Amino acid sequence: MPLLLATSALGTRVELVLDEPETPALRAIGEEAIAEVHFWHDRLSFFQPESLLSFINRSAGHRAVRLDEDVWGLLSLCDRVHGASGGSFDPAAAGLVRRAAPGAGVPPSAHDGPADSGWAALVELDEPSRSVRFRERGVRLDLGAVAKGFALDRAAEALRAYDVGGALLHAGTSSVVAIGASMRRLGLRAAGSVFWTTLRDGCLSVSAPRGGTIGGVPHVLRVGDRMRSAADTAVCVGPAGSAAETDAWSTALAARGARPARMPERLRSAIHDGRAWTAEGVHITPAPEAA
Amino acid sequence: MTDASRREFLIQSAGALSAIALIPAIPAIARQAGEPLGVALIGAGRQGRAILGELAKLEGARVVGVCDPDESRLNSGLRRVQGARGFADHRALLDGLPEARAVIIATPTHLHRAIAADALAAGRHVYCEAPLAHTVEDCRAIAAAARAAPGLVFACGLEARSNPIYKLARSFFRSDAVRDPVAIEAQHFQKTSWRFPSSDPAREREVNWRLDPDVSLGLPGEHGVHQFDVALWFTDRLPVAVAGAGAIRLHDDGRKVADTTFNTLRFESGLFMHHQASLANSFGGRHETLRGSNAAIKLAWTAAWMFKEADAPTQGWEVYANRQQFHNEEGITLIADATKLASQGKLKEGVGLPNPPLYYALADFLASVRENKPAATSAADGLRATVVAIHAARAVAAGAEQAIDPSLYEI
Repeated sequence: MPLLLATSALGTRVELVLDEPETPALRAIGEEAIAEVHFWHDRLSFFQPESLLSFINRSAGHRAVRLDEDVWGLLSLCDRVHGASGGSFDPAAAGLVRRAAPGAGVPPSAHDGPADSGWAALVELDEPSRSVRFRERGVRLDLGAVAKGFALDRAAEALRAYDVGGALLHAGTSSVVAIGASMRRLGLRAAGSVFWTTLRDGCLSVSAPRGGTIGGVPHVLRVGDRMRSAADTAVCVGPAGSAAETDAWSTALAARGARPARMPERLRSAIHDGRAWTAEGVHITPAPEAA
Repeated sequence: MTDASRREFLIQSAGALSAIALIPAIPAIARQAGEPLGVALIGAGRQGRAILGELAKLEGARVVGVCDPDESRLNSGLRRVQGARGFADHRALLDGLPEARAVIIATPTHLHRAIAADALAAGRHVYCEAPLAHTVEDCRAIAAAARAAPGLVFACGLEARSNPIYKLARSFFRSDAVRDPVAIEAQHFQKTSWRFPSSDPAREREVNWRLDPDVSLGLPGEHGVHQFDVALWFTDRLPVAVAGAGAIRLHDDGRKVADTTFNTLRFESGLFMHHQASLANSFGGRHETLRGSNAAIKLAWTAAWMFKEADAPTQGWEVYANRQQFHNEEGITLIADATKLASQGKLKEGVGLPNPPLYYALADFLASVRENKPAATSAADGLRATVVAIHAARAVAAGAEQAIDPSLYEI
């Protein structure tokens, strides 16, 4: 009987299934992974005022904020994906979303971000000092699109450090990490139908505009009008340790509706436009119920 | 508070009212003039890593060293700071890192005494996590060593005393708004096994020291000590006895340390504090409730509320205050820095602390060192809270009330 652990974090349910019979030692290892998830929830939450991200959002408009290696790595990843996706992935767009939906979600305030600019114009990463600074006051980063994957990467790292050979981790079913040689079958929902895909020792992220809204505005935005997603569902699959990256890219794919030329080749993708899948390296089949 | 509940709460309070000025402002502690203080961390477990995260926010500190005998924990700590040196032994750190003017001790409790004594003897300022030690003897030795080093700051990591929301709540508790203390309740519920993984079976006991009855104070010691200290600090009273009971309700894995505990602290005045802790259920998390004849105050570390009695005198400001509904009760949200926030139209942004409580405790420590002033939480404060926690742990183990010799509270 595999060991299941679950917790509420990152705004969703996070589950870990370890492919071994329960022992006190195995539970301790699983709880170490859960602790990593909570640690990153507490650091990356947009909503908790005491989180590190809230501290960055309050402070980086006034001064450079020093970052540890992990957070520096995460913001550097955001920077890379923002650039390579032509701005389709933009964690600095939180203020824009709020402006698009006044009166809903978190109310707009004088601190909402500038209206017509994004990450590239507003966020400055300085490698020598490993710090972040905003070029304008009032910028707010929202790492909700990558935090789940990032936390799962850290949790999976903890499991691997204790030689866990097989496990499946997911956060809200949209960010998934598989550890070990077992092939896992996963269900996907797109345009009202259910599909299957498989995952082995890697990461898979799904983005869809129906997955979340702020005041009725989808959290995945299309470049240009920033009001609608271009895809119904987007999937990104990558190697072990890349869940934050697949999270970021699935968001970019959903916003853009097509695979950008600069997307790394080691990442595979599938996009459903509401009628059919366009897949590159991802095998997707209709589930038997839908066939 | 979870994300969802906080979001919901922010929405509920969005139309909020103006505010009240009742307390000292949250100090602007992140900006410090001059050279940052060189700090070293001893003990890079979960708490140590959290400490590194908060120190990174404080411009007044520069982490220059990290020490842990476990290589993977040490590397994990070093990953969180830039340019710090790693050590496996605290004596090597004290000898080899003169730029570390202060050390922060976040090791297992039973190791505090030797490290604190060595650090003070080496002329280092010390911040030591609570509880101070696992025995009264060790506790008193640490407090005596701190007293014998008058030029050095010694702070005990009882975070409530630096928490701006707790300071605000205490001002209410000690005013006519709450009036005479009636009863105190506290709980710390978290569903977890409290067992930590070990890659080396030979180190199993060392890693899982919390489950070792020879050195662990159990739940009353590791969690209760912070909440006992809230009662001591708010009331300025010391308990004369502690009763207790405990059981293993879920984690029946051969452990001897109870996973569920109950304690009652008895004060001379007839005041009681009830404390519950469990690793078998998480409902309600961690909070304290202090009841007075005019109101009750609920403290939840990053937020606090006051519930007034219907017959309590109105003080005027309540009608303007931010409120939150708890089942059939309505709590007035205690917001630090309320007047300033209200004048900026940002009262709702003041709900909850802008930083974790640990941040304020560390900031207070750095300020004490920099300004050569007494620690917000002294060794004597740490001694008193830990003496209570040690007796609470004994009461759980014995299932019987433990009288506390008042002389133990004195250094």
